[in-house]
Amino acid sequence: MEKGRKNIMREYLIKRIIVSIIILYIVATLNFVIFQVVSPIKPLATVIDPDFTPEVRDRLLTIYGLNEPLHVRYLKYIKNMFTWNFGVSFVTLGPVVEELSWRLPTTILLLGSSLVLTILVGIPMGILAASRRGSKLDVLTIGAGLFTWGVPMFFIQLLFMLAFCFYINIFPVRGIYSTPPPTAPLAYMADVAWHLALPLITLTLGSFGSWALYTRNLLLDALTQDYVVTARAKGLSERTVLYRHAFRSTLPPVVTMITLSVPGIVTGAMITEWIFTLPGIGRWYLNSLMAANYPVIQAVLFIFALLVIICNLVADLLYGVLDPRIRVGARR
Amino acid sequence: MAWILSKDRRKIYTRKITGFWEEYKRKKIGLLGLAMLMCFVFVGIFGPWLSPYNPMAKTRQAQIFGMPSWVTVFPQFRNLTTTKRLSISWNVEQGSEFVRGWGAVVGVQYKATTMENIEVKLNDTFSYLENIPPNEFFIQFAWAATEVQDIQYSLKLIISTPEGKDYVFWTQPAISEAKGEVAHVESINPFVIMSLGYKLGSDNLANIIFSQKGDYTLSLTVSLRPSSTNAAVLLQISDTHVFIAGHVHGVLGTDYIGADVFSDLVYGARISLIIGLLAAIVGTTIGLLVGVISGYLGGIVDEINMRVVDILLCLPLLPLLLAIVAIYGKNIYYIILFIGIFGWQGLARMIRSQALSIRETAFIESARASGASSFYIMFKHVIPNVLPLAFASLVLAVPGAILFEASLSFLGFGDPRVPTWGKMLQYSFSFGGFTRLAWWWILPPGFAIITLCLAFVFVGHAFDDVVNPRLRRRR
Repeated sequence: MEKGRKNIMREYLIKRIIVSIIILYIVATLNFVIFQVVSPIKPLATVIDPDFTPEVRDRLLTIYGLNEPLHVRYLKYIKNMFTWNFGVSFVTLGPVVEELSWRLPTTILLLGSSLVLTILVGIPMGILAASRRGSKLDVLTIGAGLFTWGVPMFFIQLLFMLAFCFYINIFPVRGIYSTPPPTAPLAYMADVAWHLALPLITLTLGSFGSWALYTRNLLLDALTQDYVVTARAKGLSERTVLYRHAFRSTLPPVVTMITLSVPGIVTGAMITEWIFTLPGIGRWYLNSLMAANYPVIQAVLFIFALLVIICNLVADLLYGVLDPRIRVGARR
Repeated sequence: MAWILSKDRRKIYTRKITGFWEEYKRKKIGLLGLAMLMCFVFVGIFGPWLSPYNPMAKTRQAQIFGMPSWVTVFPQFRNLTTTKRLSISWNVEQGSEFVRGWGAVVGVQYKATTMENIEVKLNDTFSYLENIPPNEFFIQFAWAATEVQDIQYSLKLIISTPEGKDYVFWTQPAISEAKGEVAHVESINPFVIMSLGYKLGSDNLANIIFSQKGDYTLSLTVSLRPSSTNAAVLLQISDTHVFIAGHVHGVLGTDYIGADVFSDLVYGARISLIIGLLAAIVGTTIGLLVGVISGYLGGIVDEINMRVVDILLCLPLLPLLLAIVAIYGKNIYYIILFIGIFGWQGLARMIRSQALSIRETAFIESARASGASSFYIMFKHVIPNVLPLAFASLVLAVPGAILFEASLSFLGFGDPRVPTWGKMLQYSFSFGGFTRLAWWWILPPGFAIITLCLAFVFVGHAFDDVVNPRLRRRR
């Protein structure tokens, strides 16, 4: 039995990884098409002056590898993307990978901690709201859910910034650490936490509502099912019914929710980096868009897609663990 | 004329709609949303008549970051003033034999008889009776010298305070050629500040000059120095506009260039409604068609459509859209189209599942049996059945589109020619609204976005509850 489960899991895992790679490939192709094939702006418009002589122009095109036929460029491009070789930034003229390597940790820290925080706040709130239907907490949950739908997160962040950085000056306006950063590791961590507090709180505030509402609705749906009635009739405690029977069955769709909300969180992190001037890849991306720095734009779009796909893969694996239809024969 | 419904059909639809309305009326939150929406539609339609200024012209109405005028009801702001626009018609003090008034213009027509230097002085007084001085003012007038012959002329604009102090605010150094210009002199002009002997940055000229209540005199001295007995000049000087910027202005104060914030806000309602509705219509139409085709036809079409949906669902759309907008141009119609094109995945999945179950019903089977084509069945039977659902999701898609556009504008990728709420927030964020604590500039657009979106969310949820009653409590 154990062996069968393992095989199914492995099959599932391999299938998901292949699908992820295909999606990544499609995203990279889309990137290439948008920026290098159909773009009305030539990729080197910011670098090449129209007054340059044809020889200089050709040399520049050769340096950036742009005077080869389209299909050769495409193959090279795909190969470069998958080998983590993103070319040379038009602005700094340094390799994109180097700049990426010190910007990525900020974004991943922001993304990861906000995702964890959102889950830790949203799901328990949804469970409590569902178990006390009609209570004040329930109304609050519905309100928070509607709030997420109708309130621009960047405005919440601006409000917090106005209140806590400008009216009462207790949080820093910009950056991820003080300049110069403290040298002691503990002090450094405290400093980073202080700088990230406002972005994280606001990011969580902007997204926990939909999680709470979604969990609540799923759980309410589960609580009306016949097996819950049976569980209650058996005389199980309300707690057991709620967590062991009702909530357990909502876990797979909740995991799907994680999958679906990751692109939104990536977007949210980008705007957050912009507002709080955090040196992550979101802010880098926006600056590059304004400067038409195509190698960076392509690299970041690729990495955004990669982040989303990795999160989806993790969620899929969790799904595999949680869904009893996939965990076939695991218990007995 | 097949599109005109038959009498029976009309009756059925009327009954359906009244039935729907009866049900909808019971949802309090839906009615609230509808009322809010009506307000926005009203503002959207009558915006140009509601807002006193055209936001695209961005004309200066008061000092930069002027507060709303209703703050003067609070004691600490009681002394704040509104903008004063004064029109100075020049009176002549000396040398009147040369001077003529031509309506709004004063003419100094000089023909030399001797080689004597002449000074002509024009002046007018106005009073400043506020308790506190303004923070900025400017003086603007037009002048021109023509028919210049053998003569040097110079002009000097002086402000005299009630206590008798003179400030030379503007000069035209002596020249002997024809010249004309619109002189626009700001109190914050660094050259003026420094030539009067004040420090840049620390001294506010408007504060210093208008520090007392009383009568101020504005005088313009024309000095003429003929170099032969043939000397002649014709100088024309227009009436002068003195703009003493108020500390407060209008319903919602002013922004970083002193323009009216309320007008921006009112115009934003129309744009937001248009963006939200059009983008949602585009998205819903695509979602509806893809969903129905996918669900009804099934097979390879369904497989391809759903894989496309999967890919779109795992792309972060805002960064992608930003890139597209950056490449294809910041045009509001592109933005609407792109938001629509990238916003149909969720609906397509939902409609597909509905279409799947409708496909199995008896009436579809009988339609198929009587030889109806797939196309006919999809448009005549499947779509009418999923339409209420699509409509509810259309209403719920509007806030998403509005928020999307607001984020786009906030990040600086909105259409620069359109006054949107997102752009107001972008400007307040990048042009000092936060450091100056200009809450009247930051809060209104944000709360406008929130209220409009919530109006659609309320209506959408009430709508969804009526057409899609799945979460009713088990009793």
